[in-house]
Amino acid sequence: MTVTANPTVRRDQTQPPPRSLERHFDTGAHVVSVAVNRAGGHAAAALGDGSVWLIDLTDPQEPPAIVQAHGGVCLALARDIDGQAFLSGGDDGRLRRIVPGHAMETLAEAAGRWIDHVDACPRSRLRAHSAGRRVHLLDASGHEAMPPLEHPSTVGGLAFAPNGKRLAVAHYGGVSLWWTSRPGPPSRLEWKGSHLGVLWHPEGTHLMTTLQESGLHGWRLKDKAEMRMDGYATKIRSIAWTNRARHLATAGADSVVCWPFFGGGPWRKQPLQLGGIGDGLITAVAPHPREAVIAAGHDDGRLLIVPLDGTNPVTAAAPDGSPVSAAAWSDDGRHLLAGTEAGRLSWFPIRATKGYPAAPRPPRQ
Amino acid sequence: MSAIPVTVLTGYLGAGKTTLLNRILSESHGKRFAVIVNEFGEIGIDNDLVVGADEEVFEMNNGCICYTVRGDLIRIINGLLKRKDGFDGILIETTGLADPAPVAQTFFVDPVVSKRTRMDGIVTVADARHLADRLADSHEAQEQIAFADVILLNKIDLVDEADMVVLEQRIRSMNPFARIRRTQRCEVALDEVIGLGAFDLDRILAMEPDFLGEDDHEHDQSVTSVSLRQDRALDPVAFDGWLHTLLRVQGTDLLRYKGILSFKGSDRRTVIQGVHMLADSANLGVWPAGQPRESRFVLIGRNLDGDRLRAGFAACAAP
Repeated sequence: MTVTANPTVRRDQTQPPPRSLERHFDTGAHVVSVAVNRAGGHAAAALGDGSVWLIDLTDPQEPPAIVQAHGGVCLALARDIDGQAFLSGGDDGRLRRIVPGHAMETLAEAAGRWIDHVDACPRSRLRAHSAGRRVHLLDASGHEAMPPLEHPSTVGGLAFAPNGKRLAVAHYGGVSLWWTSRPGPPSRLEWKGSHLGVLWHPEGTHLMTTLQESGLHGWRLKDKAEMRMDGYATKIRSIAWTNRARHLATAGADSVVCWPFFGGGPWRKQPLQLGGIGDGLITAVAPHPREAVIAAGHDDGRLLIVPLDGTNPVTAAAPDGSPVSAAAWSDDGRHLLAGTEAGRLSWFPIRATKGYPAAPRPPRQ
Repeated sequence: MSAIPVTVLTGYLGAGKTTLLNRILSESHGKRFAVIVNEFGEIGIDNDLVVGADEEVFEMNNGCICYTVRGDLIRIINGLLKRKDGFDGILIETTGLADPAPVAQTFFVDPVVSKRTRMDGIVTVADARHLADRLADSHEAQEQIAFADVILLNKIDLVDEADMVVLEQRIRSMNPFARIRRTQRCEVALDEVIGLGAFDLDRILAMEPDFLGEDDHEHDQSVTSVSLRQDRALDPVAFDGWLHTLLRVQGTDLLRYKGILSFKGSDRRTVIQGVHMLADSANLGVWPAGQPRESRFVLIGRNLDGDRLRAGFAACAAP
């Protein structure tokens, strides 16, 4: 398929893109999460039947390899610290390391608990996973790097800072910020409410959380200036930075709501609202890592490529009735992966550079 | 995709909740239940869908109303709903000291949970020997009776008939909605506790007119019920204003309420039900021909001033 972000080209958004290269697989189970490994050679999809499907992105003829990673459901998927591997957490209380083409390893077990949040950081060479209120940090050899980190309530999400020095853990009442090199009490960013997902700004300057109460909260870390974004139709299940972190793209509304993080924003700035198609809600957002476009999944299964300049989106996948539950690009932007609750797993190889016009200028504020 | 029914099992410590749970799971009904328990390991049945919960109650604020929900249930049910091999129902066992309201409210507020599941009923197991004492000294025991759709009066072999009658009258005065079943070792037919549809608005239409029964005149107990009736059609604006104010001022005292209402200018019956400040209503079916269009509204709660509620409701009648 061709992705265009050129303002002079207008396409009817109901039209499929020309020469669609979508490959899709019917996995038969809820696609919980998708990711492409750091080397870019394999994609993984974590599913509601406990399996992880591995797609070899270098060989379109090769069928996906299926690894039975967990007893019940895969709850979390992350890229491990190296170029090849993925980490998955499940409701069988296991943390698995999956290297395409190799036997699966079990890195941790928490009997009777769910491992539902996982992250890994290549800079600090650490992995973090949560079970209930407790977070475990593992070093590169799989040993506990320090005693478990305790929290006042169940962990809603966790993420390493881009430089790996800190770990942010979201829970009821705010976020705990731990130093990853030494044990010690965390500093707390407090805001009443149930914080679910947590996302660092790529420069490590801001920290954003999604809330149970259909909104976002955030902090600018240098002065703890707070931001609140609300007015969403539903709980926000997906947020991500657009290229060069100019905007924070968010799901949870009837369009992709993009908050500007430049020119003094997001304070007192209106967000862009892109790619709406009427009543439907956006369920997943995945900004292209290099170009000013966002892959946006809808609750009817539609996947649109939405340009940030406000020009018409292009349909990448037609609606099939089941909400898009996950979407991710490879770091080089050459592959887009997406999945739905009903189990459709889509892979879009993007043709090399020629497919893209130059990125448009960001909108003026 | 039909919504998965959720049954909540409550009851004071030692009343027999786990006995009931094991009974439901061991009966050969061909149904598969996901079970959310607070004491992992008490279940005698081998079931890979048993999940331990943490009973994390937290406050949520949506604009002007504030309510408590069970955060752990939101997380667990969202996880269960991703499973490929589905299940026919969810059973939630609460601790003996739990207030049922946050559990019930959870099923109305989370977008995924409220879309994919529905509250089917709250079943309270009570020890017939000790219930009177517990009602006297335990806030939670009162709430568990007040919230129930079905009350199993368990261990009846240890209580004589005269005491049972007094106990049942006492329960009835607190909660006129609930069905009371006398049991030993929680022996009860499955369809008495599962598949109740107690939170379905259209089931409220089936409320017998005489379910209103007698109001509670025992002013020494803190949870009471008040039944309101009105022969004249209600003015919708006046009723909305009255209810809105009532929920704002006394929402935390109102445990459950149900009503069938006749509004001026409408041939349809308006049905309403709620838990604390979360109310749900719909216009259902036209009034049957030849039957009186009487509005009925029953409230269960604390500190309910019957005279004042009756006067307020009466003032909603259209001129």
